[in-house]
Amino acid sequence: MTTKTIKHPLSAWHFLEVLLFIGPAAMFLIVFWILPILGSLGVSFTDWDFMSDGFQITGIQNYRSLLRDKNFLSAMEHTLLFACYTVLPGCGIGLILAVLVHAAGRHTPYAACLLAPWITPTVAVSIVWIWIFEPDRGLANGLLQWLGLRGLPWLQSSSTALAAVSIVTVWKNLGYVMLLFLGPLSQIPKEYYEAAALDGAGVLQRFRKITLPLLAPSTCFVGLIMTVESLRAYDQIQILTQGGPAGSTRTLLYLYYQLGFEQFRMGQAAAAVVILTIIGLFLAWVQNRVKGVFYEI
Amino acid sequence: MKSDLIRIRLLHVFLGIFSVLMALPFLWMFVSSLKTKEEVLDPSRLLPAQPQWGNYLSILTDSPIPGYLGNSLFVALAVVCLQLICSTLFAYGITFLKFRGRTWLYRIVLVTYMVPTAATYIPCYMLLSRFHLLDTFQGLILSNGVSVFGIFLLRHAFTQLPPDAMEAARMDGAGHFTVLTHIVMPMTRPAYITFTLLAFIGTYNSYMWPSLITDSPQRSLVSQGLRRFLFEGGAYGTQWALVMAAGAVVVIPLLLLLALGGHWITDGIADGHS
Repeated sequence: MTTKTIKHPLSAWHFLEVLLFIGPAAMFLIVFWILPILGSLGVSFTDWDFMSDGFQITGIQNYRSLLRDKNFLSAMEHTLLFACYTVLPGCGIGLILAVLVHAAGRHTPYAACLLAPWITPTVAVSIVWIWIFEPDRGLANGLLQWLGLRGLPWLQSSSTALAAVSIVTVWKNLGYVMLLFLGPLSQIPKEYYEAAALDGAGVLQRFRKITLPLLAPSTCFVGLIMTVESLRAYDQIQILTQGGPAGSTRTLLYLYYQLGFEQFRMGQAAAAVVILTIIGLFLAWVQNRVKGVFYEI
Repeated sequence: MKSDLIRIRLLHVFLGIFSVLMALPFLWMFVSSLKTKEEVLDPSRLLPAQPQWGNYLSILTDSPIPGYLGNSLFVALAVVCLQLICSTLFAYGITFLKFRGRTWLYRIVLVTYMVPTAATYIPCYMLLSRFHLLDTFQGLILSNGVSVFGIFLLRHAFTQLPPDAMEAARMDGAGHFTVLTHIVMPMTRPAYITFTLLAFIGTYNSYMWPSLITDSPQRSLVSQGLRRFLFEGGAYGTQWALVMAAGAVVVIPLLLLLALGGHWITDGIADGHS
């Protein structure tokens, strides 16, 4: 094989060409993605603590102690709850908004307007939300009191903090989810609706009988994308609650950050992020399967 | 027909109100940023008696915020350039060049895309520290040198091109590089604009990774800088009007970008995933 490559100058040139095109990105991918991912997997089997030079290979000890750790189990629970709190309302409202924006015309300013929270830095808007959620002087409780309701402690109580962080997250993602639905929505042929309207179907009936079934695959898809997105939430948690109060907003990713970059327990942190990765890959696999079920036949 | 017209009007009224509600946190930020120290703490006052434009003046002249803005702008532009070059070459290679292991390579990239970025942080941190790149712009830029998302976006655009145009050029003896710059790139301009905007915004806003590898205010991007301004600039919660003005200064460039090039971003997201 190699002799052949050397014999034909064209072949050698082709090899060089491929290298020229693939090389730069491949180098970055290997150095900053592939090797580090394998590295994390490796570290997760050690007791490395960052400070000392040496480490010992401890096998699956990190995973075992994580699974027995109260903090880890509650972080798993919060991750699941956070996913439910953000994905379900986000997709529901996002779908309705997409239908409305589609009806109003895709190039009306609404789409860009709704995307503003997604475009702006999470840190900046989270700071505004801290101020809105302020129990005594904030806008949120001001509005509740104006409506004759009692104010809530929002970020300051472990019973409401995760919901408050979820509200910020839904608000931030809504425009994005809406756009993810808008694409497939504009691919539904207009004739379907016209025919249904001629048969006397009302707006709601058309939504239920045409839009919903035809968007079922996209809904599944968007739901999975947003679930993966919820696993990656960090910025708003770091600014709004730092995982508190009493660990009530500590998700798996935030636990990873605290283990690794606050407590320098690198082995355990790596094990946590490996578990996070496995969940992410599993969701991606499901996503692929769903796509196959809906589109292949 | 008439009921349709009323329905459309109602639709616009509803979407208008909803958009304002969604924009409420931004409006509240701008309103609060124009208040005095006392007004901002008084929940009964919705609007400032006299807009305190001085808050903005002191943020722009007497705070580290403009420096953070400059850092974010510089790093984001550098990262966008690097990502554009790497992703373009890679996407072209994987779409149009024939070589062994091509599908294999594509699968690896696909799996990489599914892995949360956080999984790379500990080893990447070690790597940057080994090469003395912690707390440097070089470290920030190089560690973001490739965008897997960009590779997918461009590859997708490339596969939609009619093969005839490229084949004709190849027949005329044009090299791959000429085909790329004279045919492929001009024909996929929308994908390039979308990618450039999203990559720029993503880097400008990025927080977790930059805050792990940089420490000094001289290298902080806006997100990390704003957080520092919130927690260090006076005790927690005292200077809310100034904090809001700082937030506004950081947010306004992006809102302008959205107002000017919004449809590139919205179309890119809406049509990219379907």
